[in-house]
Amino acid sequence: MTSPPLRLSVNGRPVAVEAVPVSERLLDTLRWRLGLKGTKEGCRTGGCGACTVLVDGSTTLSCLTLAHEVEGSAVTTVEGVGDDPVGARVQAAFAAAGAVQCGYCTPGFVMALTGLLKERGPADGFDELLDDLAGNLCRCTGYASIVRAVTALREARP
Amino acid sequence: MASYDLLAPATVDEALTVLRVSPPGEVAVLAGGTDLLFDLEGGRSPARHVLSLRALPWRTLVWDGPTLTIGSTLPLRTLENDPGLRARIPGLYAAVRAVGSVALRHRATLGGNLGRSAPSSDLVPMLLALDAEVELVGPAGSRRVSVDRFVEGSRRTALGPAELIRAVRIPEARPSAYFLQRVRPFHDISHMAVAVAYSPTAQRWRVAIAGFPPRPILVPEAEALLRGPRPAAEDVVRAAEALALHAPIVADKRASEEYRRRLVRPLLERGVRACAREGVRA
Repeated sequence: MTSPPLRLSVNGRPVAVEAVPVSERLLDTLRWRLGLKGTKEGCRTGGCGACTVLVDGSTTLSCLTLAHEVEGSAVTTVEGVGDDPVGARVQAAFAAAGAVQCGYCTPGFVMALTGLLKERGPADGFDELLDDLAGNLCRCTGYASIVRAVTALREARP
Repeated sequence: MASYDLLAPATVDEALTVLRVSPPGEVAVLAGGTDLLFDLEGGRSPARHVLSLRALPWRTLVWDGPTLTIGSTLPLRTLENDPGLRARIPGLYAAVRAVGSVALRHRATLGGNLGRSAPSSDLVPMLLALDAEVELVGPAGSRRVSVDRFVEGSRRTALGPAELIRAVRIPEARPSAYFLQRVRPFHDISHMAVAVAYSPTAQRWRVAIAGFPPRPILVPEAEALLRGPRPAAEDVVRAAEALALHAPIVADKRASEEYRRRLVRPLLERGVRACAREGVRA
């Protein structure tokens, strides 16, 4: 069964997507209807964090979210996060630390970390930051370089 | 292609009407969806209508003196970020942080956790120890039922077919703690968990255990051995022994009964000690 066009703001641009089934996950709308393939499908069960995007600023598992449930929301994916100053800092920190092996988990980590930093603000929250990244898995086990990127962000905090 | 439609009524009355006019079992209620979507995708749910609560005005959090009322569709992450929660009900703060990951908690809700009533819930044991009540709304008006009566078993609750969970009411902030054992400390399912709280008004302890089927439970035999806000060390040991010996702990695919009985002692001791420290601070 279908619904009226799905209206979203994606990376700052309004979109209206026709004929989105009510059961479709936001992940599939982003990847297959909007062509934004930076958002990855890992486990599709909320276990790996590879599909993390921001919905109205909050980190969200796009595999566990019906697209129609976020009708009218502002969605940010890894393709657009660099337009945000915090997102740009996170991307730069990942690049500088070489926090990428195969790269599949990287968009999810960048979105999760950007969301956490924006949620908590610059003054607070670094103590729990690594705990709060536990929802993102790296199957290459390249965590050491990811932790280096997080540490660099912490030390550079304003 | 979906075999269901998605309804998101803007008022409580409209939502209740959907439930009232639909044959039993044809409506699945969607809050955050982090658990329900597994059933919908796997075809395990016979639902023909999915009733989304997203437009209802239940994303609320209200402190009234010592009482905390949490709207059923408030994202768990919003609850976690309330400064009062961490300071005043630290056990519930810890239990909320034990649920999934941050991104999952941005969508998951307290109402959904109660309504789905998984035996592995990290929230139900803490709500038991806090003597929390569930506020239900239905065709005959609203009613309150204790969490202990609401959660009947694995995936079974006292929710009527035409009722919705509106809120969860915690009657008083209490020194409280939640300790667990899992494979990974975060974003995993607890093998064994202990929730403890001390009621300053009733001057009594509450001890709940969880992590095994059919559901989290209170253990009055252990509660009765703990006396006063700072129980004597030997009483804590006796309560932990009573818990390990007499609590109806069972094995399942995640852990053996023996392993769980060994775990429950240190978890209780840590919990009571943590509460006693908070009581001193307060």
